[in-house]
Amino acid sequence: MGLVEELTALLGEERLTVDPFALFMYSTDAGASRGSADIVVFPETTQEVAEIVRIVSRHDVPIVARGAGTGLAAGAVPSEGGVVVSMTRMNQIEEVDVENRTAWVGPGVINLDLSVATSPLGLHFAPDPSSQSVCTVGGNVANNSGGPHCLAEGSTVAHVLALEVVLADGETVTLGSSAPDPLGLDLRGVMIGSEGTLGLVTRILVRLLPNPPDVRTLLLAFDTVEDAAATVSGIIAAGVVPAALEMMDQAMAVAVENWLHGGLPVEAAALLLAEVVGETAAVEAEAELIRRVGTENRARSIELTADEEKRAMLWKGRKSAFGAVAQTAPDYYLHDTVVPRTRLVETLTQIYEIAERHQLAIMNVFHAGDGNLHPLIAYDAEDHQQTERVKKAASEMVEVCVSRGGVLSGEHGIGLEKRDYMPMLFTPTDLDAQARLKECFDPEGIFNPTKILPLGSRCFDLGSRPVPDGAWV
Amino acid sequence: MSPTEQVVGAAPPEGAEIVTPTGPDELAGFLADATESALRVAVWGGGTHRDLGYDTSFDVVVSTAGMSGIEEWIPDDLTVVVGAGTSVAELEAELNSGGQTALLPEQPGQATVGGVVATGSSGYARLRYGPTRDRILEVQAVTGDSRHIKGGGRVVKNVTGYDLPRLYTGSFGSLGVITSVCLKLWPLTEATATVVLDEVPPQEAVYRPRAVLQTPEGTRVLLSGTRREVDEIARRLGGERLEGLHLPDPVPGATVWSARVPPSMLPATVGRFPPDTSYVAQHGVGEVTFSADDLEFVTDLRTWAEEAGGAVVRVRGHSDLDPWGTPPATLELQRRIVAAFDPARILERGRLPGGL
Repeated sequence: MGLVEELTALLGEERLTVDPFALFMYSTDAGASRGSADIVVFPETTQEVAEIVRIVSRHDVPIVARGAGTGLAAGAVPSEGGVVVSMTRMNQIEEVDVENRTAWVGPGVINLDLSVATSPLGLHFAPDPSSQSVCTVGGNVANNSGGPHCLAEGSTVAHVLALEVVLADGETVTLGSSAPDPLGLDLRGVMIGSEGTLGLVTRILVRLLPNPPDVRTLLLAFDTVEDAAATVSGIIAAGVVPAALEMMDQAMAVAVENWLHGGLPVEAAALLLAEVVGETAAVEAEAELIRRVGTENRARSIELTADEEKRAMLWKGRKSAFGAVAQTAPDYYLHDTVVPRTRLVETLTQIYEIAERHQLAIMNVFHAGDGNLHPLIAYDAEDHQQTERVKKAASEMVEVCVSRGGVLSGEHGIGLEKRDYMPMLFTPTDLDAQARLKECFDPEGIFNPTKILPLGSRCFDLGSRPVPDGAWV
Repeated sequence: MSPTEQVVGAAPPEGAEIVTPTGPDELAGFLADATESALRVAVWGGGTHRDLGYDTSFDVVVSTAGMSGIEEWIPDDLTVVVGAGTSVAELEAELNSGGQTALLPEQPGQATVGGVVATGSSGYARLRYGPTRDRILEVQAVTGDSRHIKGGGRVVKNVTGYDLPRLYTGSFGSLGVITSVCLKLWPLTEATATVVLDEVPPQEAVYRPRAVLQTPEGTRVLLSGTRREVDEIARRLGGERLEGLHLPDPVPGATVWSARVPPSMLPATVGRFPPDTSYVAQHGVGEVTFSADDLEFVTDLRTWAEEAGGAVVRVRGHSDLDPWGTPPATLELQRRIVAAFDPARILERGRLPGGL
């Protein structure tokens, strides 16, 4: 039997498609890269996923897992063709364990749906990417996603206790446990952020946090980006790590306000959105401290609110920022890099210079608290000359971030988009170690091939004498 | 022997050959020779966790003492890079003097940073701040076959390549000798307090306590935060309030175990202890450290814990009982990973669960 026939026999015709339009849609993600899917399947159970892996691997065809396709780094793009496994039908929130503050969920559960479902129990899932109303928990696991509220609480890896995974041989294993410090190597930790290259995640044991008893949100406006950045450092130096600490530059604030009509102080050079959560006594004291540090750093206005409606409006503005850009230009290129917090201002200055040199419109909204930058270049993809300039500028921005002690991605992953930048951060020996790790999980390279690691990363034979750093063989 | 003396640590056995490399290059040279001669190598920090895992015989000890000290501390970035041989106590004292902490175990004895990472040890603050493994941002190591590698990065948020820092955390030296790590720091909070209670409060009683520790003597709720917050919560809880963090003494006894269970099973775990058992239970975390010489009891408890996805492991002393218990189901995959980083299996051979 051919691959399509075997998979159809397993799933039926309604949960498999080879329709050209569907294949076209499933051949890309929210970024700019495009691959070419041969088949898309929609499993509903772990057993089906395991059977899919066994069947597809017999045919020696790549397997690419996919959640909502909101990734920007081409992690879910079938660049080598093959079978796209859409996890969207595995969207069950199994029993929520209130006492242990955990829940087993399917990888296709939408991030926000999880927190909405657990809210009556006084619990929530902390990672909150801007795409949280559509992105899936499985996608969050694949990319170790963050969001504004991971400043104090950590990214997805800090909120996933265990994973059920189908490995390359079709075997199903559980990595991690609801008990602390499970025995052996932390394969759960390795699986998270591995972008579908090590196995297919079929169930996820999430850790849920109690909803905070109280919250305060502050909007601070500054005349310079420097003052805003100094406020970020000042807050942390004073002993407070807020739940979220987000910055928006003027260009972005204008774009958001034109859409939001929320009365944002658009005349300011930089806006800082800070949120503190906890006991009332804690948030009152911390909000006061943030106000004081902001005032010391010449904030031109500070708005403090505990009002749910006002908070919702401010966060809507923050999380819809990328959508709001649509009125400025038909396309945008969104970057995701991290620099040490102390290098934010100098890095931003250089990013503005790069945009200006390439005559590109740039806006910034980012997680200032952890140095996670998201420069956004608005452009028109129909204009090929402009598109080339965007690519060049994007590449230069990565170089600037790395030269400032930064890394390639804070929460979007490497995928294909940044794969070939990996040698900027890692030596051939480092990359070889990562390639060996991949090989331990997936010796035939069936899972999401060509992602994360540059081609040729596996440069030594097992057990041979090492080659000095910097030498390619 | 007082309880605190028991966890101070140990020097390598008398007469053992000790190598003390001063950096990754020297270490790589030694490991290349050791691989060639098929030597069994023990990796030594402060010797505080030698009883954790299988006893391994060795031909030579690599001490990390020559790779110690703060390499880079950037307070505004909340990061510090330190050599593996750096003393936990000294590092925390230095960080505290600058108003920060790495939240490493609070009663470290002679433990080193490299040892804490290699054994995956966490302090009591993990209920509020998460385990140590969530604060290892970058790891540098020399693998068994003498490759100097780096994983992660010196920033607080990162998804650039596979998560080697988490893989190395709790790897017990089997993937290489850790030479340095970058740690995520936290600012010291304005206030801390300890509230002593008779009973364990329900978990809804405090939003995010630093720790809830139960011993046979009672319960201590550790609080950290702003002054007003700590005052308010302490008042609400009632009981006796002490300024600062007052930790229970480490569990005394010749053989000490750690039961790890889903947090909801912790009260039942404590309920199974024979009378007069010494223990410290971390509520909300699901770990209880206890002293027991009755191997039948430990075996029964282990069976019960393992059925719930947990474990009972030996943390101090010696006994005829398997120190780890049932190995994880992914043993073959783990074996392949260990072989990829230490093909000749010279480092801490046989120490991991399943005897890897």
